Amino acid sequence: MANPRAITSRARSAIFAPIGDEGRAVRVENRLAEAIRSGVLADGDRLPSELELAQMLGVATVTAREALVSLRAQGLVVTTRGRGGGSFVRAPDPGDVVKGRLATMSRVELRDRASLYLVVVTGCAELAAERAAPDEVEDLQDLLVPVDEEDVGRWRDAESELYLSVAALTQSARLTREVVRQEADFGTLLRVPLSEPDFRQASAGRHRALVAALGSGDVAAARTSVRDHVTHAVERLTEIHEVVRQ
Amino acid sequence: MNIDVSADCAVRIEQHFGSILTELERVRAEVGALFAAGPVDSDHLRTHVEAGTLAFLQDQNLLGGGFVAAPDALSDRRLYLAWWQGPGRDFLGEAEVPGTRDAIDYTRQSWFRVPERTGQLHVAGPYVDFVCADEYVMTTTLPVYADGRLVGVAGADTTVETLERMLLPGLREVRGTLVNAHGRVVVSADPHRATGEALGTVPDAAPGGRLLAVVQATADGHGAPKPIAGWPA
Repeated sequence: MANPRAITSRARSAIFAPIGDEGRAVRVENRLAEAIRSGVLADGDRLPSELELAQMLGVATVTAREALVSLRAQGLVVTTRGRGGGSFVRAPDPGDVVKGRLATMSRVELRDRASLYLVVVTGCAELAAERAAPDEVEDLQDLLVPVDEEDVGRWRDAESELYLSVAALTQSARLTREVVRQEADFGTLLRVPLSEPDFRQASAGRHRALVAALGSGDVAAARTSVRDHVTHAVERLTEIHEVVRQ
Repeated sequence: MNIDVSADCAVRIEQHFGSILTELERVRAEVGALFAAGPVDSDHLRTHVEAGTLAFLQDQNLLGGGFVAAPDALSDRRLYLAWWQGPGRDFLGEAEVPGTRDAIDYTRQSWFRVPERTGQLHVAGPYVDFVCADEYVMTTTLPVYADGRLVGVAGADTTVETLERMLLPGLREVRGTLVNAHGRVVVSADPHRATGEALGTVPDAAPGGRLLAVVQATADGHGAPKPIAGWPA
């Protein structure tokens, strides 16, 4: 009997190599860093001790220690000694979080995330154009920011809420939850270019086109306006990414 | 025979939404009195409504409920949801725009805006609620006033899935479709009538300002479906 699939010995040994504590420290670190950046662990929260953390996560104490060292190096945790001491969460500035994420992201990852985001939100726009009632579309008008508005935060919140509202108009809770996830994950990056007045102007036009398309039930136009917007935003973001990485 | 069964469906609707209305009226009296007595902060509000709300939420057919403050009604926060939801009846407090830490302004949502405008009981949805529950729900809300000023809305959420489980057997018996005040399908005996779809041919889906109606297709399937029950009755 011939071996149906020859697996090279190198691939084999990689598969069956012990996972070890090396990868675990990174996983512990990522999990905590994610919780701090997303705000689940708030500024000033006390982290469990190294020993408690190790027990809770089922890793060796040395692994928990390694993760904490790295979090300290990233400025996400501060440790004080003595009575009342311990490790405390240090919430980063939201702008720094976005830049930090962008700086650690490869171009291929950016494109990967952008592709997923694009497919999800254009799909939502199509279904919303089919399913939304006129009064529901009318409500979206409130999310169209006046072109001369200078508060970038308002632009970002309004755009995020516009896309969430479009997702909700699909009448699918799962799709909406996916967009909530996408907004938290990629939306914050995608809205970096809104700090630029020219980009805001162009965005305003595309969002108005989207709401008009939803109002008239024009599936193709709804899709196009979202696709145009995300594509432009990703192009600009990729340029910013290049600058941040250099 | 049909009449009996349709009554059964109507009875289930009345049982569910009637008990919600009774609770919202109780909250309205309780919270209205609280605000009439002087300035209220968010902790005070939460403590005041928690026990009553959690007792009401023993009913597993409810997804969540509570009291949502009108902007600046509270002394310490502009927006606040004294709201408990989910299997664990988790407290909400604030709803955030995903990815940021900014509070979502829920006053745009129809469950807040409509009763604010009309001063009346409202049933919003079916809609996907991304502010609080992340579920496909119907939200029943009642505006609450103190000294003639709107201080917020008392409300309760029911998932469409719960309504389907609760009402579909009765609707099948009468070949009925439950629609909202705008003639949008909530649950239908007809599998081709999806929730959220507009039942475009309903002339007066919820007569007399009804918030929900059960309509029945005509025998030949042509012409406008006729209303056979409504809520509030």
